[in-house]
Amino acid sequence: MLALKNTEREGIISMDVSQYLEIFLDETREHLQNLNTQILELESDPEGEDTIKEIFRAAHSLKGMAGTMGYKRMQTLTHDMENVFTEVRNGNIKVRPDMIDVLFKCLDALEEYTDNIQSTADEGTNDNEVLIKQLNNILSEKSGGVPQAKTPVVKTSAALEEGDRWDTISLDDSQINVIKEALNMGKRVYGLTVTIQESCILKAARAFLVFKAVEERGEIIVSDPSAQDVEDEKFDREFTLILLSDVAIDEIIKAAESVSEIEKAKGGLLDLEKNKHYKAGNEAEQEAKQEAEPEAQENVPVVQEQVTAADSVVKQAAPVKTDVKKQTSGKPVVNRTVRVDIEKLDSLMNLVSELIIAKNSLVSASSQEQVGAHNSFDEQIEYLESVTTNLHESVMKVRMVPIESVVNKFPRMIRDLSKKLDKKMELYMTGEDTELDRTVVDEIGDPLMHLLRNSADHGLESAEVRAQRGKPAVGSIFLDAYQEGNNVVIEVRDDGNGIDVEGVKNKAIERGAITPEQAANMTDKEVIGLLFLPSFSTAKQVTDVSGRGVGLDVVKSKIESLSGEVEVKSTLGEGSTWIIRLPLTLAIVQALMVVVGNEKYAIPLGSIQTLEDIPPTDVKLVQNKEVINLRGTVIPLIYLSEVLDVESKKAEDESLIVVIVKKGDQMAGLVIDELIGQQEIVIKSLGKYIKQCKFISGATILGDGEIALILDANALI
Amino acid sequence: MDMSIANAQGLVLEEESSKRAIETIQFIVIRLGDEQYGIDIRNIDNIVRMQHITRVPKMPIYLKGVINLRGEVIPVISMRLKMGLADDEFTKNTRIIVVKLEQEGNVGFLVDEVKEVVTLAVSDIEKINYNANEEMVSLINAVGKHNEELISLVDLNVISLEDN
Repeated sequence: MLALKNTEREGIISMDVSQYLEIFLDETREHLQNLNTQILELESDPEGEDTIKEIFRAAHSLKGMAGTMGYKRMQTLTHDMENVFTEVRNGNIKVRPDMIDVLFKCLDALEEYTDNIQSTADEGTNDNEVLIKQLNNILSEKSGGVPQAKTPVVKTSAALEEGDRWDTISLDDSQINVIKEALNMGKRVYGLTVTIQESCILKAARAFLVFKAVEERGEIIVSDPSAQDVEDEKFDREFTLILLSDVAIDEIIKAAESVSEIEKAKGGLLDLEKNKHYKAGNEAEQEAKQEAEPEAQENVPVVQEQVTAADSVVKQAAPVKTDVKKQTSGKPVVNRTVRVDIEKLDSLMNLVSELIIAKNSLVSASSQEQVGAHNSFDEQIEYLESVTTNLHESVMKVRMVPIESVVNKFPRMIRDLSKKLDKKMELYMTGEDTELDRTVVDEIGDPLMHLLRNSADHGLESAEVRAQRGKPAVGSIFLDAYQEGNNVVIEVRDDGNGIDVEGVKNKAIERGAITPEQAANMTDKEVIGLLFLPSFSTAKQVTDVSGRGVGLDVVKSKIESLSGEVEVKSTLGEGSTWIIRLPLTLAIVQALMVVVGNEKYAIPLGSIQTLEDIPPTDVKLVQNKEVINLRGTVIPLIYLSEVLDVESKKAEDESLIVVIVKKGDQMAGLVIDELIGQQEIVIKSLGKYIKQCKFISGATILGDGEIALILDANALI
Repeated sequence: MDMSIANAQGLVLEEESSKRAIETIQFIVIRLGDEQYGIDIRNIDNIVRMQHITRVPKMPIYLKGVINLRGEVIPVISMRLKMGLADDEFTKNTRIIVVKLEQEGNVGFLVDEVKEVVTLAVSDIEKINYNANEEMVSLINAVGKHNEELISLVDLNVISLEDN
């Protein structure tokens, strides 16, 4: 009975935490983004007091949250970061560039933890000792007095090189148990470190062969990096295995070395006592316990009683939780985001639409009874009308999110690239508030990142070349987002070298993608199109930033999967512009509502230049086409009633209402019957069944539930 | 002894009835002019009253336009025109049957009237396999017998597959 109660309680506790996991992830990402932005700011203004305070607050909240959720490693790292910030805030440490680097690395590590938590609800096993040591170095160097031994697991890189790798591998409790058990059973436990040749291209494949060879002769218990990481090629050249086997280690080494492109394999018996993590882990656990207990007593005596049953992780968590509450109350208002399941939104939207239908029937019922006594009834309907229309609008807007959440991380990325590539560059962004459908926003991040990296790596020239060409030393990369008609356009522009068309041609011939004869006949545009072919890279050197040839074709397929398109404009020596056009399947645009015949149509404001009132006498015939002369420009007229096959209601001698639209350099005047006015409309697809009508780009549902079609002015010109 | 026999009989009865349940299909019977047609109820998403249809220019004549069904834009097809009958006259009985098609999503079909729901045993349904040139016949993929009356069963997925 008692046992049952215990498990029950544990169940409740763990459920408690998992219930907050989503909020935790959301808030963590928000804090991380905030930290990224603020630290970037700190880099440009090391003295900014507000920035430092904000950083401190964010780090502190992060620490508290990680502790509450029981993510020890994350907590340790943020704790040490917070220590640094405390000293910075107190003026004991001056901000230096190398310190910023370390801090950014810490943020990356935290992000990694967060990713792990998101996918597995566990933070992973990376202790990031190197970072923690660097943080402590910053502390000890500057203030002298801060103890360095605060963190339990300190590993120096020197030790890493001299000792056997498998002695520094991190082991968790279950792995240690397995090893102990195997030792007890008289099995032999080996460590094996395999180094792959530097020139090897398919590291993951070689590693896989080694894994296979070893598995034929024994059982692999631990792999560092993890088998998954090795498979994803997330390792340098070396990986370490711990394995159980009955055969001699020499045979295993031989098997591993028989795989081609393996530089060397080193192996030996594993001595658990020598393993640093095994020892350190034991110590750390004890230390953590000691640290947690007094704190718990101080802060929350009430909670303590409940907590005794739980393990030390929760013990630590409880006090921090109260800490967080205190903190949040004094926090300035940060942009609060709510994540909503799209399905729920859809059903909500349908409900609102139904409400509108109900309202419509009320409206028609009231108009049928033309009695004056129904005044209040009419008022109520008017009220209902305004409420439902607003509700409809606001619900639909919920789906739209600004692309800000995606592009926010780019300044930081460019900064890192700038350091890595040793090129000076600056990112300028506009239109971060452009709204797109949530699903599109979630997907657009990677393609944009590819393009930015591409601009930074291939586009911008090295400092010397820039100087020769008389360009400013700091390269510029622009990210502009804006709405254009039914599209959201995102442009990635740089003032770098542009695309070397001849270079691309030669490369394509070399690769056998095209023949020299074909190349001679290709236009520049076609040649640039080659860049989007899979496995095409013109980078002379493959760097880890770009040049593997897996970038642009991925960008293209991703954008196309969002039913968008990519276009490239480039001038050799001056730079290139990558233009992504995304159709707004569910976007809100401003449109001009017009009447043609008896039908209502919407023309997106983006393509409209002006509205003109033209007397019929001003219409001239040029080459049998009706044109008008508008302030010196000759503009052809398009009668929408003819295009749309409806009867115009207007008499011949009435003046024409002309909507002047523009597509590139071309202009046209659309003749309509009547103007209704400007309205914010939500674009809906006409469905798969209707596909041929090229100048209808979609439909929108008007306030009264009726459908108006949206004209694509670009297709009309 | 008696009990067990009764039980066994009950079992047999139950089995029979469940067999029957599996082997029947429900159809919605609609009227077009003087003819009655059956549409498999499993394909039908919704039946709505006639409402304003927004015309879409440059579409085939049988494609009447689009309607707003709870925030979704749905194309509406005239069954009469599709089957070579005279154009629709809208009355208070006119209905739009919204059908979920495999390829194209929801599509509405204009019918003169929705009569009833009938349950047909699979054994009472005869598939039509011949290929006639007449379009009307190709839409009808089977004939069902209901109370000694014959009902033509329409396969709406065929309508959608034709190029419009």
